[in-house]
Amino acid sequence: MTKKSRTALLISLAAFFVIALLAVLLFRKKPAGFEPELLNKAGVSGAVLTQFIKVKLFYFSETSDYLQPVYREIEVPEIREELYKKFIALLLAGDSGHITPVPDGVQLRGAYYLDSKEMLVLDFNELLGSSFPGGTTAELEFIYFLVDNLCYNFGEIKKVKFLIGGNESKTLAGHIDLEKPFFPNFDWLKGE
Amino acid sequence: MKNLIKTSSFFILILVLAPLLTALDVNIRTSDNEGFTRIVFEADRSFTYAVQSRPGQMQVRLSGRAAFPAKTMGWPDSMLLERLTYEIQGNESVFTVFFKGNATIKKSFVLEKPFRVVFDLEKSEKAVGATPGSAVSPEKKPDPPQENPPAPSKPKPIETICIDPGHGGEDLGAIGKSKSQEKDVTLKISLKLKKLIESKTGLRVIMTRDKDSEVSLNTRASIANNQLAQMFISVHANSSFRKSAYGSETYFVSLQATDQESLELAQKENQNPVDPGETIKNDELKMILWNMAQTEYVRESSKLAEYIQNELNDLLGTRNRGVKQAPFRVLMRTAMPAVLIETAFISNASEEKKLKDEEFLNKIAFAIYSGISKFIYYYNNILK
Repeated sequence: MTKKSRTALLISLAAFFVIALLAVLLFRKKPAGFEPELLNKAGVSGAVLTQFIKVKLFYFSETSDYLQPVYREIEVPEIREELYKKFIALLLAGDSGHITPVPDGVQLRGAYYLDSKEMLVLDFNELLGSSFPGGTTAELEFIYFLVDNLCYNFGEIKKVKFLIGGNESKTLAGHIDLEKPFFPNFDWLKGE
Repeated sequence: MKNLIKTSSFFILILVLAPLLTALDVNIRTSDNEGFTRIVFEADRSFTYAVQSRPGQMQVRLSGRAAFPAKTMGWPDSMLLERLTYEIQGNESVFTVFFKGNATIKKSFVLEKPFRVVFDLEKSEKAVGATPGSAVSPEKKPDPPQENPPAPSKPKPIETICIDPGHGGEDLGAIGKSKSQEKDVTLKISLKLKKLIESKTGLRVIMTRDKDSEVSLNTRASIANNQLAQMFISVHANSSFRKSAYGSETYFVSLQATDQESLELAQKENQNPVDPGETIKNDELKMILWNMAQTEYVRESSKLAEYIQNELNDLLGTRNRGVKQAPFRVLMRTAMPAVLIETAFISNASEEKKLKDEEFLNKIAFAIYSGISKFIYYYNNILK
């Protein structure tokens, strides 16, 4: 190997190393503080200028135990709770090729953010309790599908509490205690 | 050309090694508080860990390589902590914390954002026994029996076991594609398990239900507590939105940060004199403590789960989904080592078929019985 080629090799090696290190550092920062990207795109809704954000939704698939990412854009309404509702509507609408762990017909009745507790309260219709298929794994899939997606995309949400038909419910189908709020468990987003 | 190959090889090597460069950024903090010393392992992302207590020290093993600035550090001013050593062993980072005298782990819990594992230590006159961590490795065989007793204040050798067949009556549980009902499967397995335990060990077995009847989750826990059972085994069949999901898993209860907040609030309130008129407030505090009856048995429950899951893996030959934690309502109120076993997925067509086979149910019952036997041996021996 000539001196010239050795120098070229060393330079390219150093460049690769720096790029790899930067890539690694960028990837490891994401799970702790992903912020939805505010897009420089504005639409006109009536006479009002609207803004959009890019969000990262996670769905289940038959081939993995973990949630898989999909990118979407949503319009930012003036009221924060409306943004959460839009986000959840998008989640519940599902994505082709992916699994949405929510029984058919289940709808969100309301979303309330409690600033003092940094907690989002989600109120679903009664169909959630009456049509839930049962099973510990199914309950955990439903809970963390919502909690992880919300907490990942909106840093101000630290925990999520579930209501069914406006009331506290003991469990979804006899397993997980639903009376307490849930913190995210990003282990479900393994690989992110 | 030769140079190009060499450069490409280095590039591939770097890509392969890149994940190893993401060392876990660990920070350790300590503080002395009234009656206990707190040590916090904080990291830039979550990690799995195992804890072992020995006389005069505790060892925290983190999976992966940690970026920690020093190999040793000391705490001259700490009430209980003397020093810490840090080393890499294989793909684990081992932190050994040395105490000033003897100390025990009063409680431990995990917090998020940033990810923290918190240990509260208190002074102890006696040497302490081994304590499994909250993140357990299902692949590992259980440790040999340890020398010293676990958490309960005055434990007795195990004499009574409570078996809890999940669901029942109008609560059908999960339903398979060919209409198998979880409530029937859990009852069949539980009755087989009862027979095995009684015939092979002579221990007293109580059931939360022995026929197709509906029993509330609170009543199930009350039956076990009132009958002074020393072990609670809840038998279930699993279901998932993913039809391909399969395998067995064993759960013990998880203490969420909200539970920890409640417990701390209750303890704080209990330390202060309560106005005799404030009976409602007092009752609320009692409810918090009742709802968290399982708290002081979490270590034993994790051990029990580990033994049972190992036997399920060995005897069933299905996918090992491991030992897991979740806030199960039925487990939270039991004041004894308690686990919930998800034997197989009734939502998976192939496993539903197996769950209809008496021989497969016999195997499940025997695997659970074997796990229980090993736990009894472990538990009774550490009492000696």
